[in-house]
Parts: sequence; structure tokens; C-alpha cells
Amino acid sequence: MKTISQTFNTYKSKTIKPVWCPGCGDYGVLAALDKTFKALEFKPEDIAIVSGIGCSGRFSHYFNSYSLHGTHGRALPTATGLKTVRPDLHVITIGGDGDGLSIGGGHIAHAARKNVDLTYIILDNNVYGMTKGQSSPTTPLGYNTKTAPYGVYEESLNPIAMFLAYNIGYIARTTSTDMKGMLSILKEAIEHKGFSLVYIMSPCVTYSVLPYAKLKEIVKPLPEDHDTSDKMSAFKYAYSDEHMYTGVFYKEEKTSLDERLKEVFHIAHTSKTTSEIMEEFK
Amino acid sequence: MGKISKPKLKSKIDFIIRVAGEGGEGVMSCGELFAKAVARTSYHVFTFITYPTEMKGGYAMTQIRIRDITIYSMGSFVDCMVVFNQEAYDKSISSLKEGGILIYDPEFIEIDESRNFVKYPIPFSQISVETVGRSLGKNVVVLGILSHIYGLAHPGLEKLIDDRYGSKGKKVVEGNIKALKAGADTAKEIGVAIVMDLSASEPANEEYMFISGNQAVALGAIAAGCRFSAGYPLTPSTSIFETLSKFLPLVGGRTIQMEDEIAAISAVIGASFGGEKVITPTSGPGLQLMAEQMSLASMLELPIVIVDVQRGGPSTGLPTKTEQGDMKFAVYGSAGESPRIILAPTGVEDTFYQTIRAFNLAEKYQMPVILLTDQSIGYRKATVKMPDFNKIFMVDQFDRKTKVKIPNAEHIDLVQRQIPTEDELKDYKRYKNTKTGISPIARPGTPGGQYLATGLEHDEYGKTNQGPENHLMMSKKRFRKLDQVSHAFERNPMETYGDPSVRIGIMGWGSTEGAIREARYLAEAAGVKVRHIHPHTISPLPEQQISKFLHRLKHLILVEENLTGQFAHFIKAKFGVKPIEVHKCEGMPFTPDEIFNAIMKVARIADEDNITNI
Repeated sequence: MKTISQTFNTYKSKTIKPVWCPGCGDYGVLAALDKTFKALEFKPEDIAIVSGIGCSGRFSHYFNSYSLHGTHGRALPTATGLKTVRPDLHVITIGGDGDGLSIGGGHIAHAARKNVDLTYIILDNNVYGMTKGQSSPTTPLGYNTKTAPYGVYEESLNPIAMFLAYNIGYIARTTSTDMKGMLSILKEAIEHKGFSLVYIMSPCVTYSVLPYAKLKEIVKPLPEDHDTSDKMSAFKYAYSDEHMYTGVFYKEEKTSLDERLKEVFHIAHTSKTTSEIMEEFK
Repeated sequence: MGKISKPKLKSKIDFIIRVAGEGGEGVMSCGELFAKAVARTSYHVFTFITYPTEMKGGYAMTQIRIRDITIYSMGSFVDCMVVFNQEAYDKSISSLKEGGILIYDPEFIEIDESRNFVKYPIPFSQISVETVGRSLGKNVVVLGILSHIYGLAHPGLEKLIDDRYGSKGKKVVEGNIKALKAGADTAKEIGVAIVMDLSASEPANEEYMFISGNQAVALGAIAAGCRFSAGYPLTPSTSIFETLSKFLPLVGGRTIQMEDEIAAISAVIGASFGGEKVITPTSGPGLQLMAEQMSLASMLELPIVIVDVQRGGPSTGLPTKTEQGDMKFAVYGSAGESPRIILAPTGVEDTFYQTIRAFNLAEKYQMPVILLTDQSIGYRKATVKMPDFNKIFMVDQFDRKTKVKIPNAEHIDLVQRQIPTEDELKDYKRYKNTKTGISPIARPGTPGGQYLATGLEHDEYGKTNQGPENHLMMSKKRFRKLDQVSHAFERNPMETYGDPSVRIGIMGWGSTEGAIREARYLAEAAGVKVRHIHPHTISPLPEQQISKFLHRLKHLILVEENLTGQFAHFIKAKFGVKPIEVHKCEGMPFTPDEIFNAIMKVARIADEDNITNI
């Protein structure tokens, strides 16, 4: 039997090629996402990729999908609107640490509250790469950047702890060098009902705040006995000073926005025509 | 020119009632119940509401005009005034007609006895305490008094009271009905004169809705086929999103409240990308936040409708007051050059049809359409004829020829966005540089229609391209659509009124239409002829129509509710004219009388010109 996965060798755009720096972590993520779509046997016309601004914002360009490359920081609310009216589409949202945690940081809490059924992939390179080396919310304190030439004077965010506090139903961290980890997490996240957050450490080779070698040193898989339904345990590993833990921190299946909005329709339990609605204003 | 005297309007029945008091005293509900009851008769009703920003306290009033023919404005002077406290009396009394009825609570108000009014001191607060044990029922006592003066039947009012207070329990409803009776009985006992018998009028023979301008937007959106709205509460627009939230789910639509206006417009852009007709309502401060995403919608060529119910500004300004202060921002507020269409409805009924038109324009020309209403339209309630649902016509998604008419009660076209044909999908260019600038949009899920919508400058396929020729070509493509819009507008009937040979012209936009129209009638009755143009489309302007109007005009009066003359600036720059500008920047709409006075002043200047010419 011919399967869909055999039909599509790749979901990548045939005409638009990536323009990232050689060695950029984002290439790995691109390959992993392509493979994930293949594994999930999605039809390309049913995939919608919404991205923000920055190196990671270009993701939407590189797939043969319905792609929306919007403004800085607004990928998440844009994707929320899309998914609300088109629950039939597979909606993937992608942004970087600047797009997702700085300018667009305020939107994550609300996408989480809505539990909109989409996967938000944040690629963290700890710097503003595209604009050539300014501080991001995850640049470490004291690190010299172009906008903090005497050292970053703000504490860096702990995104995983923040996501846990937002009650996001699926939270995982992996790295762009770990193809196996990315494949299993991306597949699981996309299949997860409700809002899922995949946090991928994707080092910048040009403004190397966190070089591959250093990343390799600090990364450690979450212990096998970590219970993904235990939020306090997840917090403990998120706050670790010693290691940057990778893997699935937390998993909880909750009612999705789509289901809740269907429920709204149920509560109203009556469908009306436009003229019947206007009758009510007589 | 002879002596100027104020003429009477031609209608037989035309009177204005104002109920004024403090916010939270039930001024609004008293006025609204009265208006609703009258709306069920054959008379036309028009309400105007103003209240303070605070939850309680401050001057609040509701004004109701009742007439046997169409009402265009809230009117100028009040026939019957009810005041609840001293502040309301002090602020309102100058609007009461000589010889008008003044009803006041003597316990709280000292009046100027020298004025010539029909005065009825009635202690409504005390009556309320005696009847229901507390003073809070005084608004319903007043409703009772008004029902006596204007002959409104109690069964109808009791039903309205039940509708309004039913959710608060039987006891509250019964208390209010007692208060209603007490008010009417007191009025009868002390011999308050009956002015007319509204209940003797025949019930309305045509089907009417009694809706606010904000409700008209929501209902217009639903009628236009809009099935998604994302919003963020912002006075005075909030009731649009509330109404959509209540009714959209009933027609299979969805609404989501977002975390701010930026998120709201982002969500509607996403939903429009998904293929839905979308709307987001807001006011000036929200429109400012939406600016970047409006440009994105222009660049992605996605249809979206934005409603700006303008309020007094700048900044937080006057949240519950009216102003025409956002025009320049709506037209020009963009980084880079982004085409958009700005519509300015003139009243409640017009708002319903202009909202449908906004969707038609957005879907056809694939750009943001901003509907500029204001607080005075948004909060105003008026009787609006029920549209005929047998006269709604869908324009096919492959139809690229049909010239769509402006929707009205007789004919409503509903435009569906163009989608690519099978042939076009073989080598799909989402941003194909067509003759009209319009290129079909593939709906996600359509095989072969995958494309990239990017805010970066792009080529016909959507692929980013920063080249000089490409940028010029695509900028022209986007603006060519706006040319199409202009051409389409010029084909529409002239939006002018009055004798084209007259040398005095008056121009306005948006909600001032009714006051200008009535001022023109007043002037005509006083022997001064004026012609009036009131474009519904602020941008792009129907330039040929306006040029034609300006031709041979000696004096142009330009009326708008702001300080600096934003529309005048626009008209002066485009047409090189020097209008006499009449501005009002007080948070309140123009009355016909104020505009009438301006016209008469100009008429005197025109007269003097003639004398010097001799």
C-alpha cells in the first residue's frame, strides 16, 4: 500500500533555500521538523507555519506549506486566530528567544490559558543574531554584547520555569544537535492535544554566546525517574544551577480551546439564522 | 436678507425628553425603558447618551427624541427635562426650551424661579422610599411620571421592566412595578398636564429594530457573513465585541478575547489567512496599538475589518465622550505606505450597511478597512428598518467581474474573496501582478495553493525579494487596488444634497451628517439655501464628486468634531480650497442649532460680499 509518507520525500520548499550562517543550529531543527511531518504523514496543504521575526522567523519560508511570516513577537496570537477558525489545520508556530520571550513574551501566558491546540517551537540562541549581536532575554548576566558592551546588566530568564508556572500542558527542552531527541519531542508535541511548547537550544555560530562545546558540557537528559506529571519535580529540574536538563519536563492533557469553544456552542444550545438574531432587537 | 427667525420643523410630532442625574442613579435605564416603549409604537426614536467614565457619580444624561418621520440628529433644545440633582439641573437647564416642562426633585434641587418653564416639583426620591423602601427606585418613579405625560400604556412598560430586572428576582420586578404606578399616580394627583397619548398610535406597521450604533456594527458583521472576531475591551467600543460574543456562536462563528489589541488584530489576521471574514472592534487608543499589524495586513493583502469607535483624546482622554479625532491616524498611521480604506458611517442605520460594505471592500480588495464611527453613534439608539433577508445575494468566489453595489435595505451583495482556479493552482502566484492588482487567495487546505505570506517585500509567488524593480512593481500592485476602489466609488451616486446652483456649501463626515442635514432644513426655512456633501468614504475620497461639488461654490463650511480640523486639512491639501471651519471639541456632538448658526453667519458674510460687489 502506498502511504502518504512515500509520496512526500520532503516538505521543504523547492524554491526557497535557507540563508542561515553555515553551522547554525537552525539547520538541524529544519531537518527534524521536515522528518516529523513525514513521520506524521501530514499533507503539506494541511500544514500552517506561523513565524515571527529573526533568524528563526525564516522557518516559514522554507516549507512548502501555508506559511505566514508576520511581525516581531506576534506569531503566537496570529497562530491562535488561525487555529481557532481552522482546527483542521496542523498549526506550528516558530520564533526565537527575542521574538518569543522579549517582544512577544506577554502572549505565551494567554496562549497557555486558552490552551490553543498548536505547537510553539522556541529556538534559543541566547542572542539577537539577525541584527548582529545584541542582548536577548536569555543572554547571561555579565556577558558582553553590542547593546551591553560592559556586560549584560539584567538577569537572564528561566523560560522552562516560566512555562511551568503558566500551566502549559506540554513542555520539553532539547538541543539542535540532538536529532533523536528533537524527533521524538516534536512528534509528541504536535500530537499533544492543546498548547505544547518545544524549547530548542540552537546555538549561534556567529555570535557564539553559548558555543556547542559549552552546551554539550551543561546539557543533561532529565533522569529517567522524572515523573512528567509531577510539576514540582519539573520545577526542581528547571531551576537546576548545575545542568541544563533536556527532555519532557511536564505533560498534562487538558481540554483544548477548540473543545471549549464547541462547549460554548453547546451551552448556547441553539443555532440561529441572521434574521432570527435580528428579531431579538425588535 | 430679511430677519432671521427660527423655523419650525415640518413634522407634526417632534419632541425631545432629557433625563439627567448622576451616574449610577438609573438615568440610563429610565431613559432606555422609555425609549424602548416608544420604539414599539409607529414613531421613530433616537437616543443620545453621555455618562462619566467613573462607575458611580458625575453628570450622566440620556436624551430621547421622538418624531413621526425619520430622525437625523439628537436635536437642539429639550421639550421636557427631568433632573435628579443640582449638578444635572445646572448643566442641563440651558438646553430646555422656553416654556418647556421641568420635572425636578425639590428635596435636592433649587431652581431659578424666574425662568419661564412649566415646573413640576415632585419628590421622586421620597416617593420611592415610601413605595419600595429605598430611594433607588426613583428612576422608575420618573418613568411613571413620563408615562402619564406621554400616555404610555403600563402593560407594555411592565413587560419591559420584567425583561430588564427579571434576572434580579421577582421581588425587584414587583418593587419596580409599584414604583412605576406610584410615579404615574402622583403625576395624576397633582395635575401634571398630559401632553399626548403615545399609546393611541398604531403599532409600527413595518418591522423595526431598536438598536445602538455598536449593535449595528455587530449585526452588520453577522449579516455580512463574518464568523470570527478577536477583541479587547475598550470603551466606547466594548458593546460591539459583547454583542458579537453573544451572537456569533449561534451562527457557527467564534469570538476570542485577547490579551491586548495587538494580539486581537494579530488573531484576526491569522483567521483571515485561514479564510474567514473577520472583525476587531476598538477605539482610538487600541487603533494606535494595532498600527503595525494594519500595515502587515496591507502587505500580506489579507482582508480585515477594524472598527474604531472614536472617543475624546489624546491618550486616555475622554473615554465616554465623542470626538472625530482619529481620522488622520486612520488614514496615515503607518510605517511605509500601506493601502487601506476608511469608511465613516453617518448614523445607526447607515452603520449597519457600511459595516456590510466594509466586509465587501475588504474581501474584494484584500486590505484592511477601518470603519470610523464614534461614541455618539455607538451609544445612540435608533429605530432601524429590518432588512429584507430575501434580498441578500452572494457574489461567487470565481466572479471577477461583478460590480458590487453599496448595500441598502433593498439589495445586499455579499462579496466572497476570490480563490484561484484549478488552472491558476498549477503555477500558483499568490501575489500575481494583475491588471486590477487583485490576486486570488488560496484557502489553507487547498492542495497546490501553499504559499508564503510574508511581511517582507516579496515577489509574485510570495518569495522574499528586496530588488528595486520588484519593490516598485509590488508597491504599485498594492496601490493599484486602491485606484480600483476610487473608480468604484466614483461610480456611486453623488453623496450630495440640495440645489447644485447654490453658492454656500457645507461638508462634514461621519456622525455630524444628521445635525448638518437638520441645520440645512432650518436654514432653508429661514430663506438661506445650502448644499451639503457628506462622503462616506474618507480614504480614498471620491475626488471627482467632491471637485464637482466645489465647482462654483463661493463659501465652503467644513464641520467636524475636533480642535484642529483634520478633515479640513485633508480637503485643503487635496483640493486647494479655503473652507470656513466649524469645530467642536467638547466631547459632545453638534446640535443642529449650532450648525444652523454657523450657516447663518456665513450667509451674512455672503450677503455683505454681494453688497461690496455692487
